[in-house]
Amino acid sequence: MTSRLRHSGVVRAVPVAVFLLLMLAPAIHAQQTERAKRLGQKMMCVCGCNQILTACNHVGCQYSHAMLKELDDRVARGDSDDLILQSFIQEYGQTVLLEPPAKGFTWLVWIAPIVAPILAFFLIWQLVRRWRRRAVLAPAGGPALSADLLDRARRESDKEIDE
Amino acid sequence: MDIFGSFALLLAFLAAAYAFVGGIAGILTRRALLTKSALNAGMAVFGLVTLAVGSLEFFFFTDNFSLAYVSAHSNTALPPFYKFAALWAGQEGSLLFWSWLLSIWAFLALFLNRKKHPELMPYVGVTLAGVQIFFLTLNNFVASPFKVLGGLDGSGAMHVARLSEGSGLNPLLQYPEMVIHPPMLYSGYTGFTVPFAFALAALLGRYPGEKWIHITRRWTMVAWCFQSVGILLGAHWAYAVLGWGGYWAWDPVENASFLPWITGTAFLHSVMMQEKRGMMKVWNVWLVFVTFMLCILGTMLTRSGVVSSVHAFAESSIGGWFVGFLGIVFVVCLAAWWKNRDYLRSDNQLDSLASRESSFLFNNLILLAACFAVLWGTLFPVLSEWVTSNKISVGPPFFNKVTIPIAMFLLFLTGVGPLLAWRKTSLDALRRNFAWPLGSGVVAGAVAFASGFRQFYPLICLIMSVFVTLTILAEFYRGARVIAARDGTNLLTAVGELTMRNTRRYGGYIVHFAMVLIFIGIAGSAFNQDIQKEMGPGDTLVIGKYTILCQNFDQVSNNNYQSERATLEILRNGRSEMMLYPERRFFLASQVTETMVAVQSSPLRDLYVVYAGRSPETNKPVIHAYLNPLVKWIWFGGIVLVLGTGLALMPNRRAALVLRPAVEASWGDALAQGAPGSPAPSTVVRRSGAHD
Repeated sequence: MTSRLRHSGVVRAVPVAVFLLLMLAPAIHAQQTERAKRLGQKMMCVCGCNQILTACNHVGCQYSHAMLKELDDRVARGDSDDLILQSFIQEYGQTVLLEPPAKGFTWLVWIAPIVAPILAFFLIWQLVRRWRRRAVLAPAGGPALSADLLDRARRESDKEIDE
Repeated sequence: MDIFGSFALLLAFLAAAYAFVGGIAGILTRRALLTKSALNAGMAVFGLVTLAVGSLEFFFFTDNFSLAYVSAHSNTALPPFYKFAALWAGQEGSLLFWSWLLSIWAFLALFLNRKKHPELMPYVGVTLAGVQIFFLTLNNFVASPFKVLGGLDGSGAMHVARLSEGSGLNPLLQYPEMVIHPPMLYSGYTGFTVPFAFALAALLGRYPGEKWIHITRRWTMVAWCFQSVGILLGAHWAYAVLGWGGYWAWDPVENASFLPWITGTAFLHSVMMQEKRGMMKVWNVWLVFVTFMLCILGTMLTRSGVVSSVHAFAESSIGGWFVGFLGIVFVVCLAAWWKNRDYLRSDNQLDSLASRESSFLFNNLILLAACFAVLWGTLFPVLSEWVTSNKISVGPPFFNKVTIPIAMFLLFLTGVGPLLAWRKTSLDALRRNFAWPLGSGVVAGAVAFASGFRQFYPLICLIMSVFVTLTILAEFYRGARVIAARDGTNLLTAVGELTMRNTRRYGGYIVHFAMVLIFIGIAGSAFNQDIQKEMGPGDTLVIGKYTILCQNFDQVSNNNYQSERATLEILRNGRSEMMLYPERRFFLASQVTETMVAVQSSPLRDLYVVYAGRSPETNKPVIHAYLNPLVKWIWFGGIVLVLGTGLALMPNRRAALVLRPAVEASWGDALAQGAPGSPAPSTVVRRSGAHD
């Protein structure tokens, strides 16, 4: 009896119903304008999926649909880009912005990747200068060679090594 | 069987502990037998961890849901392929898998060198055992995969519960690449332990010369190749499965895998400075230390969720363990370097700025700058919250802005490096070598600009790609022309001969070419298009030259899932070209809905279509279409990268025997005089792999 029940349509209908419910659940909002899409790409979905707002396809996301709709509404209302972004920051916090602003403490996130290689470059430059000085000071044996002659010798030795 | 697995793991921990303590005692007391037994214990760890892994797999394959880990990541209907892969589907199994791969690498390193380097191997064994102890501690005492379901009953007796069915494997992981991607990436992470162990061992034991670099060269390349393949497979998985139209989101976990790859790449280049010129000894040791530490950091970021949720760090005991281990590794490395820094003293000399040496210096500078930028952006949210208590996000726009210029400069150096000779390149040679590749690149850029491509970075990428490709071709041509002229063979045969004579050099060039292909593929993303539209039957959507006509929506069901599917006809320039069927699947066991992307891929572009969901207002299905140019070049570049690395790993076909003039004379004299005997072996110079 149990076995028959398991295969009956009644029991089968349960997962189907759940499925349909869940299939309908992932609400998705198609962006209406290019401007809304561009602004949506500057923001992050706050559901924790770590995705760009317009790219969030996280099933069961409680935020992206409402956020995208709000964005569309504000664009349709003619709000400026700044106003829209500020209102989203007020509502969802600073995390909603994909790019941290270049002011205050978050200025560091922008400046460090520029300053660090420059500093490293100068360090390497100093190192190179010191290493070059050593090379110059190294005693050179034999007669002086012209640059052309040296180059020719190098070419020939390269050729020989290639062989 | 769970007890069997637990005991095997415990014994593995004890064996690693013995390998560590016994190894140190052996070094201190100089007792060879003690050292040998410690090294044997190090190898035994592999067998014991293998037994534990086998035991856990046995639970998966027999559908024994008495283990918490098995019941959480498998179910009866799961195909065997995925039952095997469920081993690394969760935290505990992943860490066991890490230990297993590490034990394989450690076993190979110890076994293959068991009769070599008697002064070095005890230190290597101790270092490997130290790392193994950490992971086996996690496996045994922090995140054991052998926890049984059940608990203590009223009388205080333990009872084991056994579920009749498991929760199933996360549908996102039910994809063939997911079976290959983690083993590849983890093999990369664990593989860097071997060069790390040899570097630390050479430093601690003050092992002479550059030998540790020669010993670990192939190990490093294999680990690097695994890491590369792991990253690319992960990117492909994200592209094909996650359904957001991209392959790289600068997610902390992605970044975590990228960091050791960057430093590993720097290491592969800078070791040549030490091999050829005896330079950069301290730098190389620290590069390999940092690479290993970034592997541990990467594993921590992947497993502890430290970045995606800052608070998870405090709550997750696993994060604390990793931080502690990283601290210990750093202190050990620092102490070892400080104590033995005089051993690393090298006579660094640079003859000219226009030299291979300086190109490697800049290559390392640029790679390290990229590594710092990615690490900084990844960890900055944690730092920001710690300092200001404000949560912030650092997303893809930051990483793109910071890393793209660095990447372009790196691509430029990829072309420049091979054109520069060791020590010094004359201005004339520079002009001769650079003029036509760079000129051709600029011409290609000008043609693209005139054709309407106006985006700055893609244009630079095009110029650099043409430049690098031509310099690589020129390198092959120059060498092959000499061989062809001398041997009277055709140029193609000569290219093969040339390549096989110096596999490391020419394999390296092929890897450079692979990077060009990958860069071109990435540059294509600047021209991505996407459009999202609510579509009913008969509705159309236009993207690029394609028109997508919605024919209908239907439902499909089987024992594993039920799905809603769109049938889309793709028309190009008004002509029917293909059908695509994007789906949303509801997996019955895990009760999870997932997107199944439909992709039509060609070398020029991918048409990528997603059934995104339904509009709550109209209840109409929403189709999201993407047109992504050149994505296929990235995957093709990955294949070329593996081939190039494989080639570089091969031994040179034959060693070139070159007789010095003086020796030739003695040969000649000997032959003329008919004297018996042959010249002394020391007068024959073996030049295998002499020029890289």
